[in-house]
Amino acid sequence: MTEGDREVRVPLADAPAEGSMTMVAIKGHRIGLYRVAGRFHALADRCPHRGAPLCAGMISTPVEVAGGAVAVGPPRSIVRCPWHKWEFEIASGRCLVDSQLRVRRYAVHVDSEHVVVTLDHPSALAPA
Amino acid sequence: MLIDCDIHVGYETIADLLPYLDAPTRELVVNSGTSGLTMPSYPWNHPTGWIRHDVYDRGDAHGANFPFVTLEALRARHLDKYAVSLGLVEPDEAAAFSVLPNAHLAARLCSAYNDWLLERWLEEEPRLRGMIVVPAQYPEAAAAEIRRVGGRDEFVGVFLPGGARIPYGNPVYDPLWEAVNELGLPVAVHTHFEGIGIAHALSAAGMPDYYIEYHTLCGSGMYGHFVSILCNGIFERFPDTRVAMVEGGLVPFVGFLWRLDTNWRACRSEIPWCKKRPSEYVWNHVRFATQPLESPDDPQQLLDAIQFLRPADTLMYASDFPHWDFDEPEQTLRQLPADWRDNVRWRNAQEFFRLPVPAAA
Repeated sequence: MTEGDREVRVPLADAPAEGSMTMVAIKGHRIGLYRVAGRFHALADRCPHRGAPLCAGMISTPVEVAGGAVAVGPPRSIVRCPWHKWEFEIASGRCLVDSQLRVRRYAVHVDSEHVVVTLDHPSALAPA
Repeated sequence: MLIDCDIHVGYETIADLLPYLDAPTRELVVNSGTSGLTMPSYPWNHPTGWIRHDVYDRGDAHGANFPFVTLEALRARHLDKYAVSLGLVEPDEAAAFSVLPNAHLAARLCSAYNDWLLERWLEEEPRLRGMIVVPAQYPEAAAAEIRRVGGRDEFVGVFLPGGARIPYGNPVYDPLWEAVNELGLPVAVHTHFEGIGIAHALSAAGMPDYYIEYHTLCGSGMYGHFVSILCNGIFERFPDTRVAMVEGGLVPFVGFLWRLDTNWRACRSEIPWCKKRPSEYVWNHVRFATQPLESPDDPQQLLDAIQFLRPADTLMYASDFPHWDFDEPEQTLRQLPADWRDNVRWRNAQEFFRLPVPAAA
């Protein structure tokens, strides 16, 4: 893993496995690098609710009612804040229990040998 | 135009129901105990009397917990005096049928009471509408009773007491919720008989020593039912359900809703059928009766405290006549902002209970 001024490069061999997370840092920004459904996502390690270290939260599968039955949503697609257990969709940073809140996200892309996280907003890049 | 959501009516003694009972139940009512069937009642006596002293002759009370108030007294002291357009009748002692251990007996008593209420009060006084008394401890029988009389215009809702064996959102009550949905009838959960009969304790702290404690805590059952109904997704599964919270105060519901909304954010995977924040169901499905209106020294503190309940749209006037803590209509309404008053005086109740709009409106 190598850290630059505005990016960190994680060798693909060290990148998080499906449904898991690896912590990275760029100039003091603590960032959780997640892999969900084959794609990488980077979230700030700060819950927008009360400032908890969000990435210490459990990666979980949402439970929803679909078609009148209780069902599970996309596997391991949310992170649950370790303090108050609010749920955030990893892919979007969206808080599932308060539409006003969203976790800060960072741009991620994959080059030939690395997953690259930058301090840019993901809108700067196509999804990794 | 005034709609009163909480007027209490009771029989003089349970023997009044004998003509409306089947023969085997008449035998039980007459021969049980020492001098006939008695209902479970409060261990706390009101220190100065449960009922307003100006509405009955004390010589006629016979030591009963709920002295008999005649239809004539109800007309003179309340309906005429305050120009009540429509009054919703809630039970007194008959509320205890739901906390009887014998659910079959309870079911038969409820049917007899509803027939008695219809014949002796509702058909006699067109300003009155009835709340159907059902055996809450026997949901299938409750559903049958709702279907038996619920189609009559004289009945506009179903009464459930605060005291209960199981909170009302629990799935054992699904037959009851199906029946009220089918008939489009709201349910009024009204404080009564907490800790009595088969009902659970008034408070997990233990048995209070004094009536004043009871009366301060008596909403506890209602709060439990309120949270249970929200957390069991009753309003998702039975979308026409309307629930009135009667005589539980107002301010406690604010605190419970705030806490429930916060907890939902953390625990919603446990109740995924609750698709929205619990409070968001309240605005469309729940109404709150005003009595007993909390009375801080500074009335503005009450208005500030209940603002979250969207009170202009959710409050309905209730007097609790003829009980000792009766709220006089104009005194109640004067404590509320002028632009809430018509809604609280009649419009919210008229819409919620789907009552006719009297010409005076």
